[in-house]
Amino acid sequence: MMLEAGGIVRTGRAIDARNVPVDGATVAAAVRGEQTPITVENPAPRPVHERVGYVRPEMGVSVRTALAAAARSRGLSAPQDDDIAAVREQLADIEVPEIATNTVRREFAAADTETERLEERVAELRGRVQVLREQGTDEAVAEAEAALTSAVRDLSEVATDRTAASQRLDRDRLRDARDARERRLRLEDEVANLERAARASLVAELRGAYAAAVADAPGPSPADPFEADPVTAALAVGRVADLRAPVVLACDRFRVPAAAASWLDAPVVRV
Amino acid sequence: MLLVVTYSRAARRSLRNACRTHEDCVVRRFGRAVLLEASVFGAFLALRLRADHGGDVQVERTRPLNEFEDIPEEVREAATAYADRDHPSTPYAKFAAGTDHPDPDAMKAREL
Repeated sequence: MMLEAGGIVRTGRAIDARNVPVDGATVAAAVRGEQTPITVENPAPRPVHERVGYVRPEMGVSVRTALAAAARSRGLSAPQDDDIAAVREQLADIEVPEIATNTVRREFAAADTETERLEERVAELRGRVQVLREQGTDEAVAEAEAALTSAVRDLSEVATDRTAASQRLDRDRLRDARDARERRLRLEDEVANLERAARASLVAELRGAYAAAVADAPGPSPADPFEADPVTAALAVGRVADLRAPVVLACDRFRVPAAAASWLDAPVVRV
Repeated sequence: MLLVVTYSRAARRSLRNACRTHEDCVVRRFGRAVLLEASVFGAFLALRLRADHGGDVQVERTRPLNEFEDIPEEVREAATAYADRDHPSTPYAKFAAGTDHPDPDAMKAREL
């Protein structure tokens, strides 16, 4: 492994970077292959590295998830793996029609307001025609009647629009779209359940090795290895995992970085 | 009331959180669906979920049913009579045939 920061270059399986002007988060990011001002050359990290690749007292570790990732790094598999792949395939095949009814509902509501306005206008014109028939001139009656005819026509057009809008809110179409979403949700739940079971099975395989690592780890030893403090837990998961990429250590558990590298059986950068 | 149904894991999670935070607006919860109070705030919660999750959130308006007001008498009577039938395996269509009870297709064609 090679680390270069601010013109300082360090190489080896256990690097002490405490005198190098760089912080742990930056080194961890560089190990993951992200763009940083420093250069780290190292083998590509495995997924478990995301969980325990940067060990510091303020970290949070979900021990079971990390342990399952450690099992994967060692090439272990779970009995649920085939089922998970099959359900994922089914999920990929589901086509979910869009439900974009917002505009339709807005048009529908607008048509409704327009209907009300026109209904009022028709009623008002009817009243006027009646009054004019009793006391108005022929000309005024004809004019009012023409206005009424036109308002009635407008009203029937809006009513047609409204029907069209309501048909677009078509229940069957929505039902199909929702059925697809419901199927997708069921499969997603199935994947989540299978993954939970797979994780439990992977954790069961490494439980003993993990407990031994917690007991052997420098620092406090808890009665329940799954209640270990985050640094102990992360180190123990790292010891049972096949880490490949360097672990960034911001903790005082080991006398020298080389001791950490040998205990973890992985390259180490002490920051 | 407002019926809110969710169709994705994320929408279901948001619905759960919203219900936990605003219990006073919740009439009844059913897994990934919920009945909210018919208040403007209930509508606000529903619309907020829909803004976040789009088509994965369905919102419907419901209202209580008074069968003595909303449902024709013969339908109510048919329901009671059918519940009281002699043979539990008799389907309704057969039960209604040749009686005064309404035919199922006729009922389907008739809007409430």
